[in-house]
Parts: sequence; C-alpha cells; structure tokens
Amino acid sequence: MTRTAMGGETLDPPAGSVGDEAVLRLEIQGASKHFAGVAALKDVSLSVRAGEVHAVLGENGAGKSTLMNIATGTLQPDEGEIRVGGEVAATLTPARATALGIAIVHQHPAVMPDLTVQENLQVALPAAAFAGGARQAAERMLARVGLEVDLADRVETLTLAERHLLEIAKAFAVDPRVLILDEPTAPLGNDASELLFDLVRSAVAEGTSVVYITHRLAEVRELADTVTVLRDGRLRGNAVVADISDQELLNLIVGRELESTFPAKSGGDGEENLSVEGFSGPGFGDVSLVARRGEIVGVAGVVGNGQSQLLRGLAGLEETSGTVSVGGRRLDHRELLGEAAYMPADRITEGLMRSLSVRENAALSALSSFRSAGFLSRRREVSEVRGSLGSLSVRAPSLEAPVSALSGGNQQKVVISRALLADPPLLLADEPTQGVDVGARSEIYTILRAASERGVPVIIASSDAKELEGLCDRVVVMSRGRVVETLVGEEVTEERIVSAAVTSTAETVSAAAARRATRSSRLRRFVEGDYSPSALLVVLMLALAAYITPGNERYLSAFNISNVLLAATAIGFIALGQNLALLTGGIDLSVGPLAGFLVVVSSFYVLDRSGPAKVLLGFVLMVLVAAVVGLVNGSLVRFARFTPIAATLTLYIALGGFAFLLRSTQGGYISLGFQNAVNLRFGPLPVAFVVFVVLAVVMELALRRRRWGWRLRGVGSDEDAARRVGIDVDRTVIGAYVCSSLLAFLGALMFMGQYGIGDPSQGSAFTLTSVTAVVLGGTSLLGGRGTFIGTLAGAVLLQQLLNATTFLGLGSTSQYYFQGLLILVAAVVYTLARSRRRGRPAAG
Amino acid sequence: MATTLEQDRPQLAAGRTWASKGLVTIGTATVILFVLSALLDRASVSGTSLSGMLPIAAVLAIAGLGQMLVVQQGGIDLSVPGAISLALVVITHVPDGDSSKLGVAVLIALVLAVAAGALNGLLIGTMGLNPIIATLGANAVLYGVNLQISGGRPRITTRLMGDIGGGSTLGVPNSVFFAIATLGLVTLVVKRTVAGRRFEAIGANQRAARAAGLRVRTHRTATYVWAQLLYCLAGILVAGITSQPTAFAGDTFLLPSIAVVVLGGTSLLGGRGFPLPTVIAAVFLQQLVQLVTVLGFSAAISPLVQAAALAVGVSLYTIDWRSILARRPRPPAAAGAPAAGTG
Repeated sequence: MTRTAMGGETLDPPAGSVGDEAVLRLEIQGASKHFAGVAALKDVSLSVRAGEVHAVLGENGAGKSTLMNIATGTLQPDEGEIRVGGEVAATLTPARATALGIAIVHQHPAVMPDLTVQENLQVALPAAAFAGGARQAAERMLARVGLEVDLADRVETLTLAERHLLEIAKAFAVDPRVLILDEPTAPLGNDASELLFDLVRSAVAEGTSVVYITHRLAEVRELADTVTVLRDGRLRGNAVVADISDQELLNLIVGRELESTFPAKSGGDGEENLSVEGFSGPGFGDVSLVARRGEIVGVAGVVGNGQSQLLRGLAGLEETSGTVSVGGRRLDHRELLGEAAYMPADRITEGLMRSLSVRENAALSALSSFRSAGFLSRRREVSEVRGSLGSLSVRAPSLEAPVSALSGGNQQKVVISRALLADPPLLLADEPTQGVDVGARSEIYTILRAASERGVPVIIASSDAKELEGLCDRVVVMSRGRVVETLVGEEVTEERIVSAAVTSTAETVSAAAARRATRSSRLRRFVEGDYSPSALLVVLMLALAAYITPGNERYLSAFNISNVLLAATAIGFIALGQNLALLTGGIDLSVGPLAGFLVVVSSFYVLDRSGPAKVLLGFVLMVLVAAVVGLVNGSLVRFARFTPIAATLTLYIALGGFAFLLRSTQGGYISLGFQNAVNLRFGPLPVAFVVFVVLAVVMELALRRRRWGWRLRGVGSDEDAARRVGIDVDRTVIGAYVCSSLLAFLGALMFMGQYGIGDPSQGSAFTLTSVTAVVLGGTSLLGGRGTFIGTLAGAVLLQQLLNATTFLGLGSTSQYYFQGLLILVAAVVYTLARSRRRGRPAAG
Repeated sequence: MATTLEQDRPQLAAGRTWASKGLVTIGTATVILFVLSALLDRASVSGTSLSGMLPIAAVLAIAGLGQMLVVQQGGIDLSVPGAISLALVVITHVPDGDSSKLGVAVLIALVLAVAAGALNGLLIGTMGLNPIIATLGANAVLYGVNLQISGGRPRITTRLMGDIGGGSTLGVPNSVFFAIATLGLVTLVVKRTVAGRRFEAIGANQRAARAAGLRVRTHRTATYVWAQLLYCLAGILVAGITSQPTAFAGDTFLLPSIAVVVLGGTSLLGGRGFPLPTVIAAVFLQQLVQLVTVLGFSAAISPLVQAAALAVGVSLYTIDWRSILARRPRPPAAAGAPAAGTG
C-alpha cells in the first residue's frame, strides 16, 4: 500500500489491496452512526482477515469504541453492513455476535468484586467451557494468560491489572474467531504486556483474527499486521504496518479540523505564580511543573495515564506527597481541599447536585460570602450568582430550574461559575469541554483564559491534544503516571503532544497496577472470607453455653434446647429469606408482617374441625399470598423504581392492615395435630430445626456452586457488570423477593405451631429480628456478600442469647442491651474488617 | 467577578421558588381529605376531634422532621421509637410527679439524646456503618436504658408537663405551637444558613460535595444528633399529652415518621428536604386515622389507606406517568440510563 491510497477522504475498499476477499473474517462496510444528530461514525469500513492482528488507531473521540460496539452488536449502525465470515449479519445483537465467535475485552473489566475468580469465570462463560472439571478448566484459563491468583480469591482483592487479565482470560476461554482488545495494555506492566502479546500471537497462529485498539505506536509496530486509522469518526486510511513509517501514521492521527476558536495566549512573561515539585500520589509519581502569571497549564496524555489523578491530588482529594506553592504561598493538603477549585471530568457523579437548582449549585462554594448576621442573604446570593452566570452566558429557564434540565455546556458553566464565585487560589479543570457543544466550548475557553489573566493559576487536563494546543501556554505530557515531556510556548502543538504520548515507553508506576507480593494464604483467606463470621458466632455460642451451664442444670435439658431451637427455626426461615433480599443489595421489610398475616389466614382454615381439603386450601392460599407479595415487592423495586425500603415498607404497612381486616382480635385456634407436627422433636432436636439446617445448607451450596447463586450475588455485587456478562437482573431480583416471601411462609408455619392462634398484632417485630440475625451472620447490607450458614448461626445465637437472660436472671432490660450491642459490635467489626481489606476508609 | 462581563448579556430570571411537587401534592390531598371528612361526617372535623388529632399530628410532625434530616443524607433512622420512648420515660420517671424537677428531667433527656445521636453519628457518618444496622442496634440500646430507668412501668406525668404539653392556648393545643416552632427552626437552619445549605448539597451528592471540598463526615455525623434532639422533643411532648404514657409509646411513630417524609417529597436517596410538606403530611396521616375511626370502620382500614398513600406518593416521584399516559415509549438512550428513581 502506498501513501496515495491513504489520503484524507479516500474511501476505496481497502480490502482489495490487503488480501483475498475469501478469507475476510469480519467486514464492516460503510458504517455510519449518529448520536443526537451528531455523527460519531461516518461511512467507515473495516476489513479483518483471518489470522491477522489489525490495529485500530485514533485519538480519543475518533470513533474507535463506536465502531467496536457496532462490531459486537452493542450498537446498531444507522447505515452500513456487517459481514462475519463472509455472511451478512442483518441485525447483530451481543448474543448473536458471541454465537458467531466475536469476543471483546472491554477497557473496564466486567467482573463482580464480591465473587471469586472461579465464580466470575463460571457465571460469565457457558457451562460447556468447563466440561471435565470446572476447577481444572478455570486453572487452564488463568494459566493461559499468566494470571497468578488463587481461584478462591475474591476479585475485589485483585489489582486492576489482575482484573484485566481475568477479563482477557474470559475472552480467550471461548476460543473466539474474532477477538477485539480495547487498549488492553493500559493497566498492565511490561511482563504482563509481553505475555499478552505472546498470547495474541499464538491465537493468531491458530487462525483467530484480532482487532487491537491502541494509542501506542510501539505496540502497533510490535504486534499488528495491518492498521486502520480513524479521525473524527471518519476513516483516515489503512496500511500494512511494515509499509508505513511512524511519521506517516502520526500524520494520519493528528490534524483534526479546528472546530472552535481560542482566545489569544498570554506570552507568558509574568512572574512565576505556581510551582509543583516532586508531587506524588495514587496513580502518578514525581510530577514537577511551574507556571507564570497568565499561563494556562495543560496536562496531556492518553486517557488513564494519571492526568485525572494528578488533578485530584492537586485538589486535595487524594493523599499526596511533595509541595504545591501558589504565588509563593505553600498550600498543604487541607488548604488545597478547602480552597482549590476543582472541576471534575464526570460532571454527573462528581460535579453537580442534579436534584438541586442552578442557583444552589452555583452558590455552593461561596456560601460564606453571602452571609449577613448569621443567615444567608437571599438578595445578595441571587445577585452574585446571577451576575456570575450572566457573565458566563449560561442559558437556563431560571435560577431556580433544576440543574439537570440544562444542556451539557450550560451545566459545565454552572460548575465553572461555582469555582469562580469562590475566588479560588488555584483552578483545576478535568476535561472541561467534554460533552459540551462547539459554541459553548469557545466561551469556556474565554472564561478560563480570563481567570488566568487575573492571576489565578489554571491547570487543565484534556485528552484532546488539539484543544490543549489552542488553549495552553505550557503542556506536560503524562504517560503511565509520569511526566514524559514538558512543552512550552511554540512547542505546544498537537503533533508534539500526541507524539510524546504515543511514543512513550514508560512503565506503569500506578500503585493500583502493582502486582501483589504474595498469593494469599489459606488462613488469611478464611479470616477474610465469608465464613469467619459464622465461626465467630459458633465460638460465642459455645462460650455462652460454657458460662451458663455450671449451676444451671436445666440449661442443657432437652426441653430448653429444643425450645431455643424451635424459636430459632421460626425466625431462621424468615432470616433466610431476608438474606436473599440483602444479597441482591435490597432489603425486605415486609417479611415479618407477611408471616403474621399468613398465620391469621391459616387460623381460618387449619383448624381441628376442618377437613383435609379445607386445610389444603388454606396452605395453597398461604403460598399464593406469599408469592404475590414477593412479586409485588420485586416489581415495585425493578419496574416502578421504588427503593427496596419504600417498596417493602408499603407492603409492611398494608399486610399489617390486612391482618386486622381479617381478625380484629385474637381468634381461630390452629389445629392441635398440626401444632404437634410442627413441634415434633426427638430428644432435644426438633424435626423442624433439622429441616431448617438442611434447607440452609442446600441454599448455601446453591449459592456457591450453582449459576442461581452466582447470579444472585453478582447482581448485588455490581449490577452493571452483571448485566454485561448477560445476567437477567430483573428476573434475578424479583425471583429473590418471591423466594424471600416463600421462606416467610415457612416461618409462618412455625409460628402457627408456637402461637396456636390467629393474632393480627403478631409479626411486625420479626422483620427487625430477621435483619439482626442476617447481619450477625456476616451478610453485607451493600449486597453481593453473605452466607446462609451465617444466617443459621445468627438466628440460633440470637435465640440462645434471649434464653440466656432468663437463666442469668437478668430480666428484659439486658435483652435489649445484648441485642443492641451485639448487632452494633458485629457491624463495627465486619465493617472495619471489610474496609481494611478493600484498602480504603469506610466512609467516602 | 469576571472581567469579561458584557453589559448586553441577558440576565437570568431570578425565578420564583416554585411550590415543590411535594407541597402541591400533599397540600391538595390534605385539603381534599378535610373536605371529604366534613362531607362524610361532621364529627371528624369537630373541635373535639381536631383537638384529639392535632397533638399527635404535632408529635409525628416533629419526629418526621428529624427523620427527614436523616433521610436527606440518604440514611434511615430506625431508632425513632427508642428515642421517643426514652425521652418520655425520663420526663415521667425522673420528676415522679414533682413539677419542680421537670427542668432537670428535660436536661437529662437532652443529654441522653445528644449521646444517642453521637453514637449513631459516629457509627454511620464517621465509621461508615449502614444506617439500618446502626440505628437498629441503637434503638435496642435506647430501650435498654429506658427499661433500666422505668422497669417497663408507666408513671403518671407531672402536672406542669401536662399543662405545657397537653394544654391549650387560645384554643389551640400547645403541641401545635411546638411543631410550628420546630418547623420554623428546621426550615431556617436548613434553607437559610451556610451549614444548612452545605448539608443539603452533601445529601444530594456526597461525591460532588467532597470534590467541592465540603466536610462530608462532620455533617453526616451531626445529622444524627440533630435528629435525636427532635425525637427527644417529640418524646417530651408525648409525656405531656398522655397522662400515663407507656415505656413503649414511641413504637407507633417509626413507620409514620418515614411515611410522612416520603409523602412530603423528600427522596429516600437523599438530597433536598421538604420541611413544610412533611409537617402537612403528618396532619394528613393523622386526620386519615381520625376519619376512619369516626366513621366506625375497622382499625385495619387506616394502615391500608396509609400504605396506598405511600405507594401513590412514591410512584408520583419515581414513575414517569406523563410518558406512560401519553403511551410513548421511552427513548432508547434513556432506557439504559441508571435509575434516577426517587422513592
């Protein structure tokens, strides 16, 4: 291929020059895609031959991801045709793409942190991939990508690089015909990258086609046979890698058309007003930079190379070392946090309070200056905010409009207005024009330039090199957390910036990507594992028994033990259901009143004088009611978007009402035969308790070994990742609420045996008791983490404790203290243990 | 501020602070309820009826305002019953009928409230415990203290407390004035002070608040102290309204306190609080109970109506009824967006 064939808008089918039509594995012809009227892709074609590595190059926003989303069926193109293995794939869906042998490794791994490595593999891959021993198959998958972790390790303990390797392992495991790798080496160290390259080469040798998206020319040189370059959603050209020079490739990547106008630069002859020296933090190291009055400093680099972290560090949001001086005054961490104005790249989650008004958002950082006599002066606030927003030309219906109703550009201006109103010593903006329309961009540039001219040092991180060229007087280029180039004045050009970023061979310094020193030991894994709370509870139970037994011979009597176990069984069934809800990240407050209501229902049917048909009808009705309640709970949560608390609280109140509707006072004696059956015991051991234990064990096994359990915990652990690996989230969650209600039905059977009468006022207290038992068992209220064995132990311990107070003659006061302190201590211990494991403070 | 200000740029309309959706909804519902009450049975809006309903509504309003503060921070407070019960037990047991000791009793109740709030606040705001667990545990501990003081036995309230909490001024129950004063105070502090505005911003988006340099932990911790102080006031009033309150009298306020917050339009996910609608919702719920009682329905009807009101109230905020009624499918781009639900 010659240079003439790669010229600007040339769109001749490239396939003819690079290979035989017959061996084209994946072919995209003339694909276009628009988002809200803006073209993300325009008439782009891509041809991938069998057994080649095809690199796709381009800057951020060039359309690479859109193209790959089309190739994997995640997006449907507006125009264009996709052929897989020579056949036209009319409408490609993710499932169809997988069936056709297309696999993708996303930039952000779709893994669920609370599941183990093994479980993550098994929930995401078809069962066929594990034929002949799941463990061995999983070991092979890990060995293939050189991932040295234990299959039983929880993914949350893995480093970013290890998670990435896991994601790669999943893709290679299905032996795809087309493998798409989206910047796979970004978080990997040199060794892992080399290993990945070897893997890619051996896969290619076996006939797999690899599409390799990257920013790094060195990787293209090392790995790829052919290369396609995109820019601004258009095809810039393609070539055989061996036939094209780095300079020629660079020319294809850069040269975006200028969309916005930039304000004049300062010239930079003022005094030095910003100095950063030896500044290090998570994700970046040893950064030094200076700026003169009136200069805007740009931070450049391929996305994810420490630019955002550097800005966060300068904003005082991360633990850092090194010095930052503004205008000669040294600012420590606390001062930076309090004074520096930081505009995050992610406006939605970190920049704006979406439910609050434009005024409230803009005024936030400057509230103290609107104070008069202790209270906010509405008049002053409105006039200052209005003045600021006016000077930034913010277009909004009114000051009181919710900020979420504004366009991206105007939202960003509100964030800028907040920063400027506070009169900050330092202005930090991360991707200030992302998602902002062209017109507003120019205005934002002007605003930032004006702030800089007033003497406020302005630092801007942007992945758009053209923008930095137009706006900045000084640019530092980062790669893998380090500054690899500093450009000043005339040197600040898109080409120099991109060149420095893509040709860097720096190795990652990020702490997150560092390999863990050792594999975790067996003991350590147990202590950090799900079963340590259960073990702790068993120890507590034994200790309690050992303390009470001497001097209380009745304590270990068959009668006392069976009473405790029967009570524990009743609450335990309900707690098992509660555990299901908590595992999905929800909560089911309705279980207590539901159990109470079901007992009331039974008091009309399960009577001594009822015939078998009537009794059966009663049980059928109870099951039906329970199932309907579960369905309503689940549907309110998933489809009506109630929070689990609101949804199940509604049912909680309603079920209490229904119970009183059926019976205003106690009444309806439950059949004695049934009561005896429920309370049947052999020595100290009630049959019902045995059933409870068996059920808990079976559910535990299903939770660990079956797809049902992985799905349940996966949804609770990371709903988005769960969806991406193909879990039906709605079905999983609604199913959990239905099962929870059915378990409340089992609890109701026990209460029928214990109370023997329909009592409308019973029930509601069981909700909180069930939550207590589940939490004692170590289930996290954040979802994704917990055991049924722990729930079993929690229920028994709770009843043992209540029983113990009578033996110790402590009275009801101590019951409350015990229950309260037990749950608080358990929660504190578990929370601290978990937060330490995750290596970050418990509260955000 | 900005030197680039150009004089000809359009000024943003100040915009009046619109009556919130919650205020309109619950306000309308309450008016309809009272009209309905008058039509169905005049007795349900008689002076006797109102003077029986309003004190309880006032207590619920005050407890609801405390719950609102917690909900604004994305939390939920299950220690409401323990807190109210403890306060009323301290107020009835410490003076033991001696009005001169009432001051001391109030002081003790306040100290206990601050301690309980600090416990919740430290556990949740500082240590990051889940609010449900922490307040559940705190509730049990509060009842432990309660039973230690009371032994579970009720005691007759002091005459002075009865006069203050249960009496009337100008024909209006005194508790109503307490509720109005609390409403004014909460509104003023949350909406008109620097700390209050920061508090709301933190509730609306903790991460953004942190990025803006606000002291997130301090605010979240203090939230639970303020809430406990309000529950304490509610408990003191119960001690005045009821001549011989039981040691568990606070239990009946837990669910309604959450319900009034939700009905008032405050999102359970946190953010902006709506004090006035919360107070109106308390009146609404209590009048509903009153109407049902006067009409002679089974007591079961009122929880059912409350549940229905809650469901309708939440779905008003979470479901996009307009697009459903218009039978227009949601745009595909929005369908994949994370749920921005309220309730």
